[in-house]
Amino acid sequence: MSTQPVAPRRRRFLRSQRNRRLAIQAALAAAALLFLLYMVSRALTVDLGLGFLRAPAGFALSNEWMTNHRSTESRLDAYLIGVWNTIRLVVLAIICATVLGVIAGVARLSNNWLVNRLGLVYVETIRNTPVLVQIIFWWLAVFLTMPPIATGRAMFETVWFSNRGIAVPWAAQRGDLAVVWVALLLASVVAAVWVRRRRVRLEDATGQIAHPNRWGALTFLGLAAVTFLATGMPYGIEVPEVLISGANIQRYQGGLTLTPQFAAVFVALTTYTGAFIAEIVRGSIQALPRGQGEAAEALGFTGYQRMTLIILPQALRIMIPALTNQYLNLTKNSSLAIVVGYSELFFVSSIIVNNAGHAVPMFALVIVTYQAMSLLISVGMNALNDRVRLATR
Amino acid sequence: MSAAAVRPVDTRPLIVRARRWARANLFSTRANTVLTLVTLLIVGWAVFALLRFVLVSADWTVIEVNRRLLAIGRFPRDEEWRLWPPLWALMIVGAFAFGLWLQVDRRGGVLIAAVLLFLYGYLFEGENALLLAGGMALAVGAYVAARRVRGTPYQSRARVAAVVGLVLVLPLAVVMLQVGDGVRTSAWGGFFLNLMLAALGIGLGFPLGVVLAVGRASSLPVVRWIATAYIEFVRAAPLVAWLFMARFVMPDFLPPVGGLDDTDIISRAILVLAGFTAAYVAEIVRSGLQSVARGQHEAAEALGFNAFQSTSLIVLPQALRAVIPALVGQFISLWKDTTLVFALGLTEFLGAGEATLAQRSFIGREQEVFAFVAFGFWAVAFGMSRLSQRIERGVGVGIR
Repeated sequence: MSTQPVAPRRRRFLRSQRNRRLAIQAALAAAALLFLLYMVSRALTVDLGLGFLRAPAGFALSNEWMTNHRSTESRLDAYLIGVWNTIRLVVLAIICATVLGVIAGVARLSNNWLVNRLGLVYVETIRNTPVLVQIIFWWLAVFLTMPPIATGRAMFETVWFSNRGIAVPWAAQRGDLAVVWVALLLASVVAAVWVRRRRVRLEDATGQIAHPNRWGALTFLGLAAVTFLATGMPYGIEVPEVLISGANIQRYQGGLTLTPQFAAVFVALTTYTGAFIAEIVRGSIQALPRGQGEAAEALGFTGYQRMTLIILPQALRIMIPALTNQYLNLTKNSSLAIVVGYSELFFVSSIIVNNAGHAVPMFALVIVTYQAMSLLISVGMNALNDRVRLATR
Repeated sequence: MSAAAVRPVDTRPLIVRARRWARANLFSTRANTVLTLVTLLIVGWAVFALLRFVLVSADWTVIEVNRRLLAIGRFPRDEEWRLWPPLWALMIVGAFAFGLWLQVDRRGGVLIAAVLLFLYGYLFEGENALLLAGGMALAVGAYVAARRVRGTPYQSRARVAAVVGLVLVLPLAVVMLQVGDGVRTSAWGGFFLNLMLAALGIGLGFPLGVVLAVGRASSLPVVRWIATAYIEFVRAAPLVAWLFMARFVMPDFLPPVGGLDDTDIISRAILVLAGFTAAYVAEIVRSGLQSVARGQHEAAEALGFNAFQSTSLIVLPQALRAVIPALVGQFISLWKDTTLVFALGLTEFLGAGEATLAQRSFIGREQEVFAFVAFGFWAVAFGMSRLSQRIERGVGVGIR
């Protein structure tokens, strides 16, 4: 190896760190640009328009709650029904998974050995099994193995179980003033919030316990009951029946029917996400200083009060970012409902792609929809996060 | 030693101790007693139902008859020999590594023996059983050898060899599957397909993820933008949507070079799994990079390391060490996600399970089949999480 005399001009240029940084970036930018150009050139060979969504769908969807899709309606209508079904599933599953997760997470910290172990077994079994396998299990091994509808089982003649789904009593509109009552109901929520706030202020001003929550709840219930009677009882509870007309037409009449598809996906997503939330809840509570619980105990709080008034509100602050992540995961996992044919947005989209092609624009639309839902959840959770932070610091 | 010895030994009769324990842990207060009784009712019912299902009402012949389908799908019988060398290598190197870092305690030993007896007696027969027994004997030998090496001057060299060996198992498997005429990926199936998808997803996705994380933390804006755009784009959609893209859209976009444009569906699924894992690994590694103190980088610079050296030799090792638990979590998640290729109609473990239900004599055996499939996935995922906990405690990683 001979020592180099003076570096050539080119080498000197590359020695300068500034130039080298520029060169690397320029090269990478060029590569990315080339890649993008290639993708665009490829994309131009396929039809990127969304016009195909206006054509009649040509397929009917299984009718879930509040949907009624016929094959003559447009593909866009079918897609929107898919979006609605996803939102319905995700919102319900998020609520139930959170409740289940908090219960299981608190159980994991219980000093009752049996409760503690039960929580552990739940978390470790569910968390380590693919959610897809769980969905299929609930679908094929539980809900579809129920007896056929004609011999279906019933609980107290009101809740029906069969391989057509689970039928439960549900509210049914009776009078004409239903809309009026719903409007009055919203008004009574506002009134209840107002009353509660007044009681809180009274509490702050006098230092006497004023029971703001009780007052708020009573206001709401009282107003709801009075307006319900005043509008002539516009809603009643409808008990489902099994309708058997002819040999082939057997279905539930009235009430609310949870289809096996929905039930399988809902139960699987709820228990799966609940297991992850349980771990988050446990971790967040354990992250709190021990003194918090001990101080509450010293002040004479009961176990329940200690948990709901001291521990959980503080743990909430720690767990919100992780919870947001789980909610986003749940939203994305809802697309797995495709394997059981629950008509959520990804299932509907894949039928459209199968029938009509146009895979690129259709999947682009799917990604945009999921991204929009994820953003909504993130924005909502961030707002909650800010509130919690402000309230406690 | 001393701490354990100091603990006073309770010499009272077992029944007294049991009663004291029960009073402290189950019946301490009235509310606790009620809780215990209610839980006991639920647990008792669940255990009874589970035991009755597993031991009495379930008919496991569907699994026994289809064990080959469930294990390797429709892999050609004449090519089965290709699977043995990588399996042997995995067993031997795995046992060697285990012996170098950890040790089998009584519970672990019983667990391993139970799993192996189950595999040995139930899933393998004839010469396959002999081949498995041979591999197991060698694995035990490797474990014993590793225990011997421990504490000697050769230990660190053996550890390097074990890590290199573990890394080489995957290429060995790929080579064994391709050598000669090879086995087309379309013949991969069953549990084996899930293992390959997960291994290749990690093997390709992890390095890419590290590169992306370093890119996202880079001081060069263009590099940062490209890495960020990739990560956020991939994380925007569910994995199953990307897999469907791989099926319907990808062929239109792959360049017609080297037969890439008619890449088979399993190779495309591997690419998607690797690319997807990379985005999530990148976010985990980024959090690790942020946890490394700035002074580390500055010190490396002061010692004359260039940017590449200081990142790869000083910062990255510390960052990766800090996030090993999260990475293992991601790999477990990938393992569970390999089952999503079922939605593409591939006969991986879940798909193979579903295929058995189409056989006329096994109609209506859903509960047995899916319970078995769930157990298969669970066993690997649970094993991975327990193993990582052991490693974390044994090596002291995850703690900074």
